[in-house]
Amino acid sequence: MIRAEAITRNYGEKCAVDSISFQVSAGEVVGFLGPNGAGKTTVLRMLSTYLPLSGGKLTVAGHDVSAEPLAVRRSIGYLPEHDALFDGMRVRAFLKFCGEAHGLDAATLSARCSQLVERCELSSVLDQRIGTCSKGYRRRISLAASLLHDPKVLLLDEPTHGLDPLQVAAFREHLNILREGRAVLFSSHVLAEVVGVCDRILMINHGKLLLNEETEVLRQRASEAGTDLEGLILEAARAPRAEVSS
Amino acid sequence: MRAVNLIARRELRALFDAPVAYVATAASLLVLLSLFTTEFFIAGRLDLNPLFRWLPAVAALLLPALAMRLWAEERRRRTFELWVTLPFTATELVLGKYIAGMAIWSLFLLGTTPAIALLYSLGAPDLGLICSGYLGALLLGSLLLSQALFLSSLTKEVVVAFLTGCAGSILLLASGAPRLVAVLDGLAPELALGSNLAEHLSALVRFDAFRDGFIGLSHSAWFIGTSLVFLAANAWAVRNIRD
Repeated sequence: MIRAEAITRNYGEKCAVDSISFQVSAGEVVGFLGPNGAGKTTVLRMLSTYLPLSGGKLTVAGHDVSAEPLAVRRSIGYLPEHDALFDGMRVRAFLKFCGEAHGLDAATLSARCSQLVERCELSSVLDQRIGTCSKGYRRRISLAASLLHDPKVLLLDEPTHGLDPLQVAAFREHLNILREGRAVLFSSHVLAEVVGVCDRILMINHGKLLLNEETEVLRQRASEAGTDLEGLILEAARAPRAEVSS
Repeated sequence: MRAVNLIARRELRALFDAPVAYVATAASLLVLLSLFTTEFFIAGRLDLNPLFRWLPAVAALLLPALAMRLWAEERRRRTFELWVTLPFTATELVLGKYIAGMAIWSLFLLGTTPAIALLYSLGAPDLGLICSGYLGALLLGSLLLSQALFLSSLTKEVVVAFLTGCAGSILLLASGAPRLVAVLDGLAPELALGSNLAEHLSALVRFDAFRDGFIGLSHSAWFIGTSLVFLAANAWAVRNIRD
């Protein structure tokens, strides 16, 4: 579903993402870890077609992001780090607009909206202007909008940022439903959150991929080394130039 | 066209969600109609010349005020990222926003119809002259809006977008002002700088032709062509400029 081959992104002289490669298959939830400024958002923005690549090849749902950006945008649900929402719009109108943008017909749109409003618990704010909604609601509105067209690939940039613990728990449950038949790439700098829900972990720092391993294998490796999973991942993060990818 | 229509409808609604469009449009209309009424009764002629004489100056302020909301504000609020990751092409986005802006400009022009009613209440004005003036006003609005939209897409500072939009509009209009033409020609008579600028760059000279009842194909083509150049530049900026 997602295939990145030596993708690179430069901002002038600075290399934000340095020739990284990875894959995410259907049904897989992959956690994208890294400290602030590591390059996670840049990778997700390249996947969403927002940022062009400086080098390498990136395909999403079989479409090249550089050559077929529209096909990629139709295949992805993208939750950006900062909620990109039209504050003046009412929640209902915003969801309708996003569905229409993806070409959903009225019946499908109505059914999908009802389903997502219930799942994301948005019914109490449906007729409210987005600008008046709390941060947690705004995050859930973004999530619902990104799921409306039933995308094959989900790109979630810090999805639980701004959510309270109950909402985080609900999000984890939601993610388990969402993973069926989808490739999910989920960025976070909260280790416990990623370890709890992801099948595989990618770790990036200074634009380089430091770790690309299944969570179970990492768990096993940690137990052999007499440490816990978080300790093992932190160790990998502290060795910034030593690539540990599988 | 479905996407362009969807974007235009959303933008039109958004423009009226914020008070800026109401206030700017209503205030501009009030100023323009006041100026028209004053000059109309002094001139004592049954035409819309006083209205069309002040219209470019009003457009040079109103259209950049609308355009700053259409792109710079999106970039400032980070909703630009949403627009360019939805399945729309840059051309569709630019056309949708341009159509929304032109719809407001058309509503503004519609708001000047009391001036026509006044003319008809006093006699039988030349309808051809009125239509030609309004066609020129639409084309002038298209040009000033498209240049202001392009400049708005280059920045996330709404004030910068407004000021550059105004400056661009003034450049396109003032380059045809007779006094400026005379001054520039006087500075370098061998280059005839003022006359050359007026001939190639001035929207005012061409708009004045419409105001005088002359619907020239070349003037229409110039307005449309120049608007298209700015819209194409706008699409390029939307495709390539990232924060």
